[in-house]
Parts: sequence; C-alpha cells; structure tokens
Amino acid sequence: MGSLYSDHLTWLHGVPAGVKLAFLALLGTGVFFTQELSVLIGSAACCVLIFASLGKATARAKPLLMGLVFASVLIGMFHLYMQQPLVGAVSVLRLLSTTLMGIALTLTTRYTDLLKVLEWLLAPLRWIGVQPERLSLHVALMLRFTENFFIVWRRLDDAHRLRTGKTGGFKILAPLTIHMLIAARRVADTLHVRYRR
Amino acid sequence: MNTSSLSIALVSLFAALIAVFGLIPKIDLPLGVPITLQTLGVMLAGCMLGPKRALQALLLFLAAVAIGLPLLSGGRGGVGVFFAPASGYLIGWPVGAFVTGMVMHMLPRATPRGAAISAFIASAIGGLLVVHVFGVVGLVNIANLSWEQAIMGTLVFVPGDLIKCVLCATVVHTVARGLPDWRFGG
Repeated sequence: MGSLYSDHLTWLHGVPAGVKLAFLALLGTGVFFTQELSVLIGSAACCVLIFASLGKATARAKPLLMGLVFASVLIGMFHLYMQQPLVGAVSVLRLLSTTLMGIALTLTTRYTDLLKVLEWLLAPLRWIGVQPERLSLHVALMLRFTENFFIVWRRLDDAHRLRTGKTGGFKILAPLTIHMLIAARRVADTLHVRYRR
Repeated sequence: MNTSSLSIALVSLFAALIAVFGLIPKIDLPLGVPITLQTLGVMLAGCMLGPKRALQALLLFLAAVAIGLPLLSGGRGGVGVFFAPASGYLIGWPVGAFVTGMVMHMLPRATPRGAAISAFIASAIGGLLVVHVFGVVGLVNIANLSWEQAIMGTLVFVPGDLIKCVLCATVVHTVARGLPDWRFGG
C-alpha cells in the first residue's frame, strides 16, 4: 500500500520531519487559542502560500483538498444560516490553516521518517513497558495483513456470488473474521519461533 | 503459544481490519462527517480483543494514519485529518474500543448467544455512546457548533451505528460457534 508521500521534490522535503511536526503542533495549538480574525486570516494566508509553493507535489492531495473544501463550505454555510458569520469565519480559517499544513507535511515526509519521530517521541514511555521499536514491526504487519485480507474479502465475495448470484456484503463479515483470527494465530506462532517472544 | 507474539499479531490484524473496512466506500453527511464501516471495526476490536489490545490496535491504526498512510475511508490519511470536524470521532475510537472491551470483559460470554448479547451491549456503550461523546466534543470545538446543534448533528448517525452493533453481535455469535476456544473481551 502506497503512502500519500509525493516523489516530486520541493523545498519542504528538505526540512526534517521533527521540525515539521513541531511546527504543525504549534500552529494547531496557536489557532485553537485565538479568536482574533486578523491573526487567523494571516495564518490561513501563510498556510495557503506555503501549500501553493509546493507546486506539482500537491497533485496527489486533490481528494484531500476536495474534502477540505467540502467541509469548509458546509461549516461556513451552516454558520451563515445560523446568523453567526464571525464564528463561521473563525472555524473555516482554523480548519484551512491546520489541514493544509497537515496535508503539506504528509506530502513532503516519508512515512519511515515520521515513524522514526514517533518512536523517538514514545521513547520516554519505555519505563512503563512500551517498546517503541515494535511500532515499525506493527505497522509492517498491519500493511501486510491489510493487503492479505482485502484479497480474502474479494475471494469470499466471489465465492458467495458464484453460489447465490448476489454480492456477499455483510454476510461474509463473520467468515472473514474467522479467517483472520486463524491467520493471526499462525502469524503469532511464526513470530514466536522467529523472535522468541 | 506466547502471549506477546499473539498480542503483536492480533493488534496488527485488527488495525488491518479497520483499514480494510476503510476500502469500502463512505457516505458523506452534512458538516463533513462521513458514515463509514470503520466504527464496526472499533466495536469488533473491543469485543474480540479485550480492552488493552483493542486500545493498542486503534492507537496503531491512528498512528499509521498520522504518518500519512491513506487508511481512512475515501483514501484519507495524514496529520490533517486530526484537525477536521470529524476528528473528535477519530480520537474517540481508541477510547471507545477500550470501553467496549472492558464492558465485554465484565458481561457473560460463556455461550454464543450470551456472547452476542454482551457484544451488542458492549458495542452500544463503547462503540456508539463513547465515540459519539468524543465526536460531539470535536464538533463543538472545531466546527464551533453549540452543544445542542452538535448533539442533533450526531444523532443522524445513531440508527446506522445501532445496525453496526447488531452486525457486531452477529459476527461475535458466528465466531463463538466457529472458534469455541476464543476468549472474547480478552
């Protein structure tokens, strides 16, 4: 399964993942705590400019942008209908700033780099038994399982269609779950043999 | 079988199940909140894995979304989704799965029928009530709705989510018959 990362290199690709995440966290907190319209307009304008500066790299984000526009229009229209234009403007500007920067981060940072930052952030939890290095193993297994179970889902659906002439829908949910649980036991055995844990 | 390796496999597997549910098309409702099958995954994780593993599975799933994998329905992913109006629901998923698992663990589950009834109650409390409480808080804070408006907005999803609770109970019933040694609720 591919990530939303764009191979079209931009200036933001060169900025370390940790710095981008820290900026996003600060921005998210900042716009949440202010109601000042001028500050929010300035912040949204900067975010739009930064996003636009990514050029062709933003092409992959079209579905995400459509979702953002859809949500912004709905929220704006709802608050206009409720005769609260100022509240609507504040909500839409906050949404634009944070979501655009979130998408920019996703487009310009490899998921392995973000994974390293996450592992670093989780490191202090080692003293309560959390093993951050396991995160990579979990993500790798999850992606393998996702592809595998989508194939199993399609096979079960095909088999159901051959038997009944209709698509399986929710009827194949229970057999899929049983297939998955059996597979999980097999994978657990393999992991135990391989890693002795 | 070692419980640690089983935990790794089950946690990754249920995170994957929720991702697979995301491949099924979503329906968008007003206020930008989508109806997806992924909340069924939250309920199933709680009922099948118990509180701790269900919480881990949902945290793993959200971590994978945060690092940019397009695992949410409609191929959405990345940090940006945590700032959207529906982000309250997303943040409520791990807590909802944990509560579902905890309730399931406390209720009788010795027979397939008993497990199914318990699964319905557990998913209604954890997967529906808890997730919607977080969703409402998100709508109030991000979409700037009043509490009344947010509650009215979230009520639209309740009939669909009740159907998901029934589906979850049906799956638990079938699994209880197909895998009699499975320990529901951890």
